[in-house]
Amino acid sequence: MSAVIALMIFSVGFFLIATEKANKVKVVLIAAGAMAVLGLLPGSRVFFSEHEGIDWNVIFLLFGMMIIVGVIKQTGVFDYLAIWAAKRSKGEPYRLMVMLMAITAIASPFLDNVTTIMLVAPVTVVVCNRLRIPAQPYLIAEVLASNIGGAATLIGDPPNIIIGSRAGLTFNDFLLHMAPIVVVVFIGFVLFTRVLFRNAFVYNEEHVAAVMALQERRAITDPRLLTRCLIVLGGVIAGFGLHAVMHIEPSIVALVGAGVMLLVSRADVSDVLREVEWPTLVFFMGLFVMVAGLVHTGVISTIGAWTVAAFGDNHFLAATTLLFGSSALGAFFDNIPYVATMAPVVEGMVAQTPDPQTGQALWWAFALGADFGGNGTAVAASANVVAIGIAARTGHDISFWQFTKYGILVTVLSTFMAWVYIWLRYFI
Amino acid sequence: MQARDIAVTLPTVTVGDPVAKAVRVMALGRLPGLIVVDDQARPWTVLPGTQVLCLAVPGAYREDPALARTIDEAHADLFWEELGDLTVGDCLPRQPAKPVTVQLDATLLEVAALMARLRSPLVAVVDRDGALVGAITLERLLTNLALSGLGD
Repeated sequence: MSAVIALMIFSVGFFLIATEKANKVKVVLIAAGAMAVLGLLPGSRVFFSEHEGIDWNVIFLLFGMMIIVGVIKQTGVFDYLAIWAAKRSKGEPYRLMVMLMAITAIASPFLDNVTTIMLVAPVTVVVCNRLRIPAQPYLIAEVLASNIGGAATLIGDPPNIIIGSRAGLTFNDFLLHMAPIVVVVFIGFVLFTRVLFRNAFVYNEEHVAAVMALQERRAITDPRLLTRCLIVLGGVIAGFGLHAVMHIEPSIVALVGAGVMLLVSRADVSDVLREVEWPTLVFFMGLFVMVAGLVHTGVISTIGAWTVAAFGDNHFLAATTLLFGSSALGAFFDNIPYVATMAPVVEGMVAQTPDPQTGQALWWAFALGADFGGNGTAVAASANVVAIGIAARTGHDISFWQFTKYGILVTVLSTFMAWVYIWLRYFI
Repeated sequence: MQARDIAVTLPTVTVGDPVAKAVRVMALGRLPGLIVVDDQARPWTVLPGTQVLCLAVPGAYREDPALARTIDEAHADLFWEELGDLTVGDCLPRQPAKPVTVQLDATLLEVAALMARLRSPLVAVVDRDGALVGAITLERLLTNLALSGLGD
């Protein structure tokens, strides 16, 4: 009976989150509270169980990175890079788009996608306004590049953080297994944009002078602050890489990095704390408790057992289903609640695999599907929603279908490339 | 003295008016802020002058001082042209702050306390039905307070 009640609470909560019929933070708090109050999950497990409660490793990793990013934002480095790229492109549209996509895709594995878009999109609009060209294709291309690039590392995309913590996968594991296919997909995507946005490449030579008048050097007023920030960020990334040697959790590395960043930047702590997305952190906590209710009442293990029975020993079929299924579902729902819910199911499937490599293949298929699915529709990932909001506020409206018609094509292409990669690397 | 005694009629704007018009109304009227009214002429929100400026400065520059610094002087002078046809409603949150209003019979202390608490140099004066009947600016309030002090 408790399993049925937990499933009902979860289903209603998930429906309200997916359809955005109610504020998602309120939904998860009420659903998590209901799980605890009705005894579907003991209170002690909510806070102190690694597998059946709030995953503090994820929460504090996000918190630490938000502080680090909050300080980096103040340096103006992204404005400098984007304007530098625009000048280097001399207003040639395809070259401009490629350079902006490259900046976004290189930054997004180390900064979260929403932040990357919030930093790059406004300056993109300024450059497009100067060139008198529509900003929509450039903004859409940046979001797609950001979601692809973010898949490369443990910290690049929230689904990866959840998967890494659940599966015990390190930063280096993600670099070794995800980054190669991300690089290949990104190159394919860059070539594809030449065709995808071909109608948008209008060269207005007479407006190039307006772009060349932008003063990118004025964006960075404190080069010493920038240098310090980049050193600390480099140290944090090195810390993630040495996680396996030092046996320090990624969240601890991020928290130490955040502390050092505040110290060396001499930033106002209250200013930086305003940059922390508290609603996102609370949403994650509530979401973990919602899923924990399903785990504790046996719903997840039952689904896991069905899944294992359905696929039997055909692990390639399981990986294929996870990849395409996650990509399809991730395209229509926010991929964060989807991954948080499915991660315990995948954990059960991995436990039944004959060797660790096959088990990891399932995790990578799951991660690639969920990450690339984030490009599928205008609402599939938070970065998409943020970019559309910026576009609307600056008079460059992007409709749901305008985004989705490009997003679906890129999702299909990237998911297919990922499937070939999974097949070649893990099943041949 | 009560709010009715010092209230004056000031120009207002609606959510459908262009931001450029709102800025012009404030500048030409030398107003400390603007009252935005709905289609029934009730106060929808009251914007202090700096908030009207917020409407006029594109969000990208407001939120990113580094980006504002990169704009060359010639284009910087024309930043408000980037607003295009954006209206006051486009630039305000869907549910703006409750309008800063007082009733006709409010005392000057009530008006002053409200202005001080909400940091608003402009207060809309409404009747019992919530219809706009006038406005009190910070300058007018202080002048009346100073004059009443002289009288004592």
